[in-house]
Amino acid sequence: MDFIQNTVDGIMIGSRYSLLAIGFTLIFGIMRRLNLSYGPSIMLGVFIGTFLFVQYQAGWFAIAAATLLGAILVGIYVERLCFWAIRQGAALASMVSSFAIWMQLEELTTLFFPNRTYPFPRLTSAKPFEVAGINIQASYLIMFGFAVAIMVALNFALYRTRFGLAVRAVSENPLAARFMGVSTGRVTFFAFVLASAIGGIAGYLIAANEQQVTPLFGLWATFKGMIAMMLGGMGSVPGAILGGFVLGVVESHATWYLGTEFRDIAAYGLLFVFLVLRPGGLLGQRRAERERLALRRV
Amino acid sequence: MLRTEGLTRYFGGLRALAGVDYSLEGEGVFGLIGPNGSGKTTLFNIITGLYRPSAGRVTFMGKDISRLGPHRVIAMGIARTFQTPRIYARMTVRENLLAAQHTLARAARAADRAARIDRMLEVTGLAARRDELAKNLPLPEQRRLELARALARAPKLLLLDEPAGGMTPAETDEMARLIEEVAAPGRTCIVIEHKMDMIARLCADVCVLNFGAKIAEGTPDEVLKDPVVLEAYIGRTGGPS
Amino acid sequence: MDEYTIQVLSNIGMFSFIALSAYLLLMTGEISFGQQAFFAIGAYASGIATSMWGWGLGLGILWGALVAAAAAFLLAWPTLRLRGLYFAIGTLAFAEMVRLVFEIFRYQVEIDGELVGPDGSDGFRGVRYTFENDISNFQYMLLIYVLLAAVLVFFFLMGRSRLGAIFRMLGEDELLAEMQGVNRTFYKVLATVLAGFIAGIGGALYVHLNTYVEPKIFNVMLGVHSLAYGLIGGLGTSLGPLLGVAIDIGLLESIRIFTGYRMIVFGGLVAVLLIVRPRGLLDEEVVHWLKYRMWRPFARPVRRQPDATPREVRDAQD
Repeated sequence: MDFIQNTVDGIMIGSRYSLLAIGFTLIFGIMRRLNLSYGPSIMLGVFIGTFLFVQYQAGWFAIAAATLLGAILVGIYVERLCFWAIRQGAALASMVSSFAIWMQLEELTTLFFPNRTYPFPRLTSAKPFEVAGINIQASYLIMFGFAVAIMVALNFALYRTRFGLAVRAVSENPLAARFMGVSTGRVTFFAFVLASAIGGIAGYLIAANEQQVTPLFGLWATFKGMIAMMLGGMGSVPGAILGGFVLGVVESHATWYLGTEFRDIAAYGLLFVFLVLRPGGLLGQRRAERERLALRRV
Repeated sequence: MLRTEGLTRYFGGLRALAGVDYSLEGEGVFGLIGPNGSGKTTLFNIITGLYRPSAGRVTFMGKDISRLGPHRVIAMGIARTFQTPRIYARMTVRENLLAAQHTLARAARAADRAARIDRMLEVTGLAARRDELAKNLPLPEQRRLELARALARAPKLLLLDEPAGGMTPAETDEMARLIEEVAAPGRTCIVIEHKMDMIARLCADVCVLNFGAKIAEGTPDEVLKDPVVLEAYIGRTGGPS
Repeated sequence: MDEYTIQVLSNIGMFSFIALSAYLLLMTGEISFGQQAFFAIGAYASGIATSMWGWGLGLGILWGALVAAAAAFLLAWPTLRLRGLYFAIGTLAFAEMVRLVFEIFRYQVEIDGELVGPDGSDGFRGVRYTFENDISNFQYMLLIYVLLAAVLVFFFLMGRSRLGAIFRMLGEDELLAEMQGVNRTFYKVLATVLAGFIAGIGGALYVHLNTYVEPKIFNVMLGVHSLAYGLIGGLGTSLGPLLGVAIDIGLLESIRIFTGYRMIVFGGLVAVLLIVRPRGLLDEEVVHWLKYRMWRPFARPVRRQPDATPREVRDAQD
């Protein structure tokens, strides 16, 4: 029984990671570069939200909108500076640049929000309920719902719209896409905006679930999102969702059987094992595609 | 010397090579032509060990090399160039040639190596560029560098993939001369090309592929007048330029 | 020389080791976000050796570097088949695991009535070798730079040798290098081990100067920083990473007006720098220009041989 409870808990908790991973994987899928500023950009959005909450006691809708908008704006900043401005072959430069901006954003955040923690409006006042003897928290269920909903919406967008087609074309072969009239710059920009928006939603939900935000959010979000993304397969949206769940479940079990200190070791250990045995992730890519994905020019 | 038997290769649902039987004996330059997508480069890739055949096999000097990886194939005395010159971009011309020789057990003394490299540079006309970064060279010179690099290990079989691709008639002429005088003597060359005058000039024998299958083989003259070949390249009417 | 300058210079020296460590792997075409693991292992191992086993400093540092190299050897194998970003994330995961292991690692002995040794997340205190043996900060700084000079000599010699050429070949085009007979496995493992060794020296020096380390220090920030140093200073020469470290630590330490805004300014500057110079200040182009254009303005006249006979031509290729 414990096992099932832990697993269910894990999936619920994992939906946080799924939400974070989706944005990560979208950006990676299109640019073949890691955005190390992803977590911090969301964090800044969330902090804008908390500012509204603390200063103006704004309603949850305004806060959510502000968080979303904040995350998008910062995302645009990062995209322009670290990705668009840097030429095609220099992927490492982009990643290190995004790291530099990560540090910039973190300091910016602590400058304006020096406390260790800030309150955030709660997600829901509903009480945890029981289904077939298993405890489920309402707020986690909401996050789970959002993760699934976003996945469905993205699937639709990617496979049924022209924009989605353009995104997939650019992910496959940017040069060819350009020759077919696709403006890679614009597609990348909008994909980034989309990823930031999803990140903003993720940030809001997570902060509302915790009812607080801390400046450690940025680092945490980047790591969890990245691990979940890798587990599910870089560049795969359903993979991101699945990866998040797997991560959540592993963490949940690790905490139960080994204690909290081992939770993160288990997460990284899992990632490492996956990388060695199945680098493509769960919904993994085949070897030839992986070879293409792996950077050749540093 | 080189022989393929029933060589077949699939990429997913796409059949790139369909049971190709090909054999070469003796020194000289041999042509491999065909429309784009006919499997020529795939054939090269399989011979040099970058891909494994889906079916069939390749033998070189009597040994089956179908399943050998690139470094083993190279060690046996096969070298190749690529459609887009594959060179060490951020190293100088000289360093590129040094690199090609680095893993040779024979060339013992540095002085010997240096002398050989200098001679190779002069012969390929790159002497003035010896200290230039490879990525700064114009295309024809990059191709010559790649040729020099391929020759560095004195291969018995040299595979040239569109050595004159993207070059003007004058540059093509120069490359043809280089192949005739530097590359060809003393070894077997296979040249993939679309420029028929170059093929006609260099090759004793030409093999034509289309959709992964061999559709003709013979002297340049015979092959270029063959209606099957013409149809593959141009369609029903017209002749080679 | 005042204490503050000595401290800054010492820090530049110590972090140069980890920067060079990441740079070495970058030369072979691998991005590593995990060199901080070997820095940490070097610190802990050497600290244990001198403060708990009573070893001398020199031996302690060597021991730290060797243990780090051994750990690197272990890491090299599972990551061998990983390319590009997968390798990068693999090293990251490994380094975080190492850090987390140190958070729970306890090994203490009683010396003179008190407990000495790594104490999990409370860190490793009491590495007092420099105090007990009266080594001044200035002398220690000299030690750092002597060792750094040795590492730089190694890089210099390597750059002119077959080993260096092979590393660069792998970094430029791995497949081409393999096709030219390079044994990828051997050289990749070798590069990982050497990089681990170098980072280990840095860690050993670090712990003895600060007398105290805690696992928190060896986080991903340090790892990405060490890579960033090379990318800022330039990837064309082993002096590049040093330049990057000097810029970060030296320049910014001294610009006091920026306290509180330091990363905001620095982060922005780095981002802008990388736009115009994605391979750093001293990248291959600049280094090439310095080597061949500045030092040899008069190129050697080239002899032309327009009528080479076929036999002469054939001799040229042997």
